[in-house]
Order: sequence, then structure tokens, then C-alpha cells
Amino acid sequence: MTERESAADIEARAARWVVRVDQGELPAEEAAELEAWLAADPRRRGAFVRAQAGWTLLDRARVLGPEAAAPVKVKAPSRRALLAGGGVAAAAACVAALLVPRLLAARYGTAVGEIRRVPLADGSMAAINTDTALEVAMKPRKREVRLDKGEAWFQVAKDAQRPFVVESGPVRVRAVGTAFSVRRRAGGCEVLVTEGVVEVWSEGAGEAPRRVAAGERVFVSDSAGAARPAAASLEITRELAWREGQIVLDGEAFGAAAEEFNRYNARKIVIVDQGLADQRLVGWFRTNEPESFARAAAASFGAKVTVRGDAILVEASAALAE
Amino acid sequence: MSDGRTRVVAWIGREILPHEADLRAWLRRAFAAAGDVDDIVQETYCRLAGLSAVEHIGEPRAYLFQAARSVALEQLRRARVVRIDTAAEIDSLNVELDEPSPERIAGGRRELERVRRLIAALPDRCRRIFEMRKIEGLPQREIARRMGVTENVVENESVRGLRAILAALAEGETQQQPTAARRPSTHDRTRKRR
Repeated sequence: MTERESAADIEARAARWVVRVDQGELPAEEAAELEAWLAADPRRRGAFVRAQAGWTLLDRARVLGPEAAAPVKVKAPSRRALLAGGGVAAAAACVAALLVPRLLAARYGTAVGEIRRVPLADGSMAAINTDTALEVAMKPRKREVRLDKGEAWFQVAKDAQRPFVVESGPVRVRAVGTAFSVRRRAGGCEVLVTEGVVEVWSEGAGEAPRRVAAGERVFVSDSAGAARPAAASLEITRELAWREGQIVLDGEAFGAAAEEFNRYNARKIVIVDQGLADQRLVGWFRTNEPESFARAAAASFGAKVTVRGDAILVEASAALAE
Repeated sequence: MSDGRTRVVAWIGREILPHEADLRAWLRRAFAAAGDVDDIVQETYCRLAGLSAVEHIGEPRAYLFQAARSVALEQLRRARVVRIDTAAEIDSLNVELDEPSPERIAGGRRELERVRRLIAALPDRCRRIFEMRKIEGLPQREIARRMGVTENVVENESVRGLRAILAALAEGETQQQPTAARRPSTHDRTRKRR
């Protein structure tokens, strides 16, 4: 028996093959050599795919564009400014609650592009996303929140005597002390749980409540009730980046990402060539900067951006040649 | 590469590589010889390479640990001699998985930072090559022309850079991240158990 090849040798060969393959189509005899090399030992195939994964990971740098060299500040500098409006509104709401103790309901609305962080009278906290209508009623036996449209995330103060229930159409989400978000969509609600456990159900479905734990997401249909909760902790962290005024993309399609930006802005991104909509993207962006997002995305797949009135048009460069 | 395979490779880069340092730490505890760990890691990647789709995998970290665990068990079976504490360590896998990794907390936002940091940490010539290749998207020939070196030199430097980056990932370059504070607890526990 020949001596067993060391893992380090395999690793070195694998890295060389990956760089070779990256140079373009391998000549036939080299491709055959690679196949034979891979077939001889499962460790080689493993080392090869690992090196390819590392190599591909670096492709994400392309999204960075020419700015890559300069360190980019991660923390959004104007986050405070963004949320300050919410503070004022919250203060006003608190004053209102004190002045009118009988009418315990408080209404919170956000305009397109506005994100508010609002402390509630019971010590809970609500982060309210763009274009949302919310009504909060602190009753003796129940803390009631009505979400008519939009999305909000709640950090619920513990109070076993008074469950915290979010109502949206027939959908119900009940928590005692926990954190979760509810987003109203057509035909139901998307619920993401970041801490603890909540119970979800739809009054329209007549089913027993379903438990959803931290790190899980679930869609509750108005008519059919809750689907099976799915584990999605990474996704949840990403999807709730709006609380910091950010959109984080990790392989989402350009089309879906553009729609997401359009939720926050009057200036809408319009994808002229539908072929571009399937391009995948990575990066983090401010919700209120659709144009810089469109430009970064376009640069990463060689498209062109034109701004016309309230529309940010993205079209394939080839289409311009005519 | 076919489309499906491209997706699998990208997924491994994004969801698996960041957990390799933790996986190695766990394997090192279970297996005395470091050589074994390298073998297991490579064979584990081989299994992942065989996936035709990854969309159904909700917890990549847990999936990676499970795959490595079954590779390790197979090796033990081959070796026929099993140390009791080794088997016990492998069974304690679930304890390990409950601990949130820095990545799990940080989410996808750090990805770009990590890539940038990996490239920035390379030796100078290597780094310039990677920036031209990966950020500007230049072909190897053009890079060689701009740097006034042969394509062979560019290839060698690329191999060197890629290996350095993989090694950084394997050793847990995440330690330089702001989440570093979470790390020592893992190490402390390791020591206690030894």
C-alpha cells in the first residue's frame, strides 16, 4: 500500500485546481486529470469543494464595488435622527394616555419611509415599520394591539396576568413576555419570533393555537390558520434589519429586493428588463437610499440606471445598444 | 459549473465555512490526533459536495455538525478501537449545537465585512491580485499584464492567497470581530472538560 496522502497536500492541490478552473474552460486533458484526481479519494472532492466555496465567497467583494478599499462604517450615522421623530411621537402618546385615562387606546401611524420606535405604557417596546397603522389598548386583563396594515416588532414586558395579543384581521398572536414581529400581507400575517414563545391562530380558521418559538417564522393565513413554523434564525436577523433603518440582502433576487425598497420610498425602483430581476445580491443598504442601492446593484451585474421623475429605472446595458 | 452546483458551492461558502473553526474545535476535543480532524473535515465537505439542493436545510450549522459526526463515527467503526470518552463526546453533540455561534447572532450583514477583512489581511502582492480579480473582475492575463509579471506568478499568488484565506477561516478569524467577547467561554469550557 502506498503512503496515505496528507490532508495538507490534498488541500494545496485542491486550491491550485480551483484557481486553474477559475481561469476559464480547462483543456480536455486537464479536465480529465482533475476528474481522475477527484475520483481517487473522497477527501480530495471535499477539499476541492471547500476551496471552491472559499473562492466563491470572495466574489461577494464585487458587490462592494470600487468603495471596497475604503472602510465602510456599518453603523448608520443618522439612525438616531431617524428614530428621534418616534421618540417625540411616543412622548406625545404618553401624555395623551395620562390625560385621557378612560380612552386607553393610542394610535400610531407611520408614513412611507418612516420607522418609529415607541415605548408602550406597560413597559413594552414597539418598532413600527414603514406605512403601518397600529392601535394599542392597555386593558385590565389584556394588552391589545391592532395591526391594520404594515409591520411592527414588539419587545413585550412580562406580565402573566395580562397577555399581549396582536390582532390583524382574524389573525391573533399572543405572548406573555417575549419579542416578535408581525407583518400584514395579503391573505394573512408573517410572524417572526426573536425571543421566547408566542401562540398564533386565526379566528377565521377555528383551529387550536400553534406555538412558535424563538428563531422560528410562520405564516398565518386569514382563512386557513397557521402553517408549520420553520426554523430561520439567520433570516430573521436579516429581515428585522429595518429596525435600524437597513435592508440586508443575502442572496435575495434583485426583483424582490427592489420591491422591498419600494415599500419605504415614494421614488420607486423600476426594473425595465425582467431578466435582471433574478440576479442575486448581497449587501446592506439604508432603506431610504433606493438610488444608491440601484446603482450598486446595477454596477454588480453591468446594468444601467436612469432617474426619471419619481422612477429609478434599471435596464440591461445591452438593451441600450439598439 | 451547473446552476445547482453553483448554488451549493455558494451556500457552502456562505453558511458552512464560517462554522468550520467551531467544528474543528469540537472534533479536536473528540479526537486526539489533529491529522484525523483534517481528514474528517475534508470528507465532510465531500458529503456536502454531493448535495443536489440546499434549500431544505434550515440550520446549516447543525447540518454540518451532523454530517461531520457521521463521518467521524464511520472512521471509528473503521478503526474498530473506540475510546469510551470519544464516543461520549460525539454523543454530546447536541449540547454543543445549543450554543449560538457568533454568526448566528450577527446574521448576514457581516459577510461583506468578513470578505473585505480576509482580502485585506493578505500579503501585499497577493492582496492586489485578489482585489483585481474579485472586486474589479479582471481576468488573470490582464492582472499579469498590469503587474508586469507572468501569468504563472499570478496563479501561484492566487493559490497562496486562497490557502491563506481558507486557513484563516479554519482558525476562526471571527475572533477579531466585535463578538470576540463570546469566544472565551467556549474555550474555558473546553479546558474544564479536558
